Amino acid sequence: MRPLRWIGLVLVFLLVTAACQPAAPPPAVTPTAPSASPPAGTPGGGAPIRIGAPFNLTGGMASIDVPAANGARLAAEEINAAGGVMGRPIELLIRDTKTDPATAATVVTQLIEQDKVVAVIGFNDSDYVLAAGPICQRAGIPFITVGATSPRLPGQVGDMLFLTPFGDNVQAAVGAEFAFEKFGKTAYLLWDKGAEYTTVLAKYFKERFTELGGTIVLEDTYQSGDKDFSAQIAKVKALPQQPDFYYISALPDDVGTIVKQFRNAGITGPIVGGDGYDTPLLIQVAGSAAENVFFTTHSLLTADSPNERVRKFVAAYKQKYGTEPEAVFAALGYDTVYVLAEAIRRAGSTDGQAIKQALENIRDFPAVTGVINYSPQSHIPQKGVTVIEVKGGKFTLAAERVPQKVPTP
Amino acid sequence: MIVPSVRREWIWGLRSFLLLLLAGAYLALERGGNAYLQRLAILFLINLMLVVSLNLFTGFTGVFSLGHIGFMALGAYASAILTLPVNLKAVNLPDLPAPLASITLPFFPALILGGLIAAIVALLIGIPVLRLSGHFVAVATLGFLVITRVVLINAETFTRGTRTFAGVPPFTTMGWAALWALLNVYVAWRLKHSPLGLRLLAARDDPWGAKSVGVSIGRMRLIAFGISAFFTGIAGGLWAHFLTAFSPNAFYFSRTFEIIVMMIVGGMGSVTGSILGTLLVMASTEALRNLEPGFAIGSLTVGPLYGLSQIGLAVLLMLLMTFRRQGLLGDRELRLEAIAERLERWLERRKTALEAPRVRKADP
Repeated sequence: MRPLRWIGLVLVFLLVTAACQPAAPPPAVTPTAPSASPPAGTPGGGAPIRIGAPFNLTGGMASIDVPAANGARLAAEEINAAGGVMGRPIELLIRDTKTDPATAATVVTQLIEQDKVVAVIGFNDSDYVLAAGPICQRAGIPFITVGATSPRLPGQVGDMLFLTPFGDNVQAAVGAEFAFEKFGKTAYLLWDKGAEYTTVLAKYFKERFTELGGTIVLEDTYQSGDKDFSAQIAKVKALPQQPDFYYISALPDDVGTIVKQFRNAGITGPIVGGDGYDTPLLIQVAGSAAENVFFTTHSLLTADSPNERVRKFVAAYKQKYGTEPEAVFAALGYDTVYVLAEAIRRAGSTDGQAIKQALENIRDFPAVTGVINYSPQSHIPQKGVTVIEVKGGKFTLAAERVPQKVPTP
Repeated sequence: MIVPSVRREWIWGLRSFLLLLLAGAYLALERGGNAYLQRLAILFLINLMLVVSLNLFTGFTGVFSLGHIGFMALGAYASAILTLPVNLKAVNLPDLPAPLASITLPFFPALILGGLIAAIVALLIGIPVLRLSGHFVAVATLGFLVITRVVLINAETFTRGTRTFAGVPPFTTMGWAALWALLNVYVAWRLKHSPLGLRLLAARDDPWGAKSVGVSIGRMRLIAFGISAFFTGIAGGLWAHFLTAFSPNAFYFSRTFEIIVMMIVGGMGSVTGSILGTLLVMASTEALRNLEPGFAIGSLTVGPLYGLSQIGLAVLLMLLMTFRRQGLLGDRELRLEAIAERLERWLERRKTALEAPRVRKADP
């Protein structure tokens, strides 16, 4: 039975590595620690309003879920310091769901059944929203997803689900319209067929771009985690004439590698993408190769932004966590807590239906990632999309726009 | 085996106590209405099925399979496609071929079909793969897992590719899960003590010896592989109708290792060990997970420790591999006979211990 020992050792190693992925959120005191003294200025009276906040703080999603959770925690502390909601403090129950949908479902059930939360916020990917959403729906608890951008989510889950970000159809339409006007009528399209987000984004881009009168001269795919793109690049090089731009729908982990390899092969034209590019990895990995890259995202988070709300958020985040926001999802987490607090305040109650109706009546709510509008018909905000250009090794603002036409989800 | 009649009474007592305990726990959970505990119970029963069926093959034959989660995926997708309501099929799977697009099966036949598909695939791949032995089977079955994933991602007509397969009706209740888990445990138990099981164990411990007395190792293993895949497929179907939304990512390495850990903790080749292993791993993971947001011991406050449950599980496994390499039970079983014997002996010892001082006191 010697082999068993080895298999066991291998398993131990794998588990340890899995557990050691970027997990550690900053050592902030969560409101859940029973004996933690309340921060200064916490409203005295009233039991806290409990909000469930499940995120994938460990595992593959951690690089964007940890900033999102940090943003949400920051917002909750600011709200409490300013007197809370209805004279009651907000208690954010942040839980780790380990990048596993089954754990996500268990955790959300526990939050609703045992912790008696009045609403749930969280997740940046539709797999987890689809596992947890139906449970909130059945319990009549409003659920706002921080960063999942699939425009079909409300249809799949039900009327208790809201999105903080825009839908992928919106950002793909802006990407198509922006590139069509700025670069021209021919495009190369490459997407990662290993993920829902990249597949859907490419589909909406193609729909809107061909509708505008553009032509896709070549379509190609790859798998998330691929490290060698020479096959795809060879096909691009074999084109009789290079397209006006290259639309590449990729996940954060792969963006830098792809851009670098395309540039190294002598492809210099503009590369366009979605909010998956909004990661420090793009410039870290691709370096100067990232110049002339454009992507659509939720906001440009810089300390010298012309937008005052962004400046304030970046400063507060830096003060609390010692670093500028790692990803735009930090701002989405922050916005989610603020919009939910506003809805509870307007509802004047913590009843699920009342909060849902108050959310549906949110109009022109000023958030870091744009102005949020909900309605009974649309639980996805019609927000503006930020287009970012990489210039001089930095993210710079290329445009802020609203799509002229949005592909149906 | 001749069992003394006093002990037989003990066994009956224990057996009815155990049954009452199980029934009581089931009713308490079912009627208690705590949805969180119910979810954990269903998840436990499904994991138990996965562990027992993996053990049924790997433990009984000594051949390591890393591909079982592939069978789980087949069962999950097959049964989910069959039970998906027709109107949802039109939206989610618009290109589904004609007979599939217009039918919706009830839960039970869909589950059975899912299990059968897994079993048929197992038999097909088992014929070439089981000709290999030892670690080579592990590698070949790992290959099967990778192939299953690639097929699931590319068969977009049936699976929506990498996109989440959502809208599966939530049919899996405590009753369904308990029923199937019981059946699975029963079949594994009977199999282990059947002529087939004895031949498998013989072939595992001494392949040449077993061959020399006429055991057809290949065929025995194939049968075990098929039965094991059938129940794994059923567990996949139950899981699909429990979670209601999933993607191919759910059926890959992390779940494979989770199940293997439970099997190794319990002991390879032990059915009761599988129950203990699943229980121990799930209970410790869940307990540690509940500590993650921070806790207080007296005046000492501990902040959030996300990732604690994974680290805790890894430490548990390391300790176990160092001090008890064969897992909790090895390939033995917890038997009521043995427990009854121990209880009896313990009572006897107590009796003599109680009587002994009295005797000594009377002496001087």
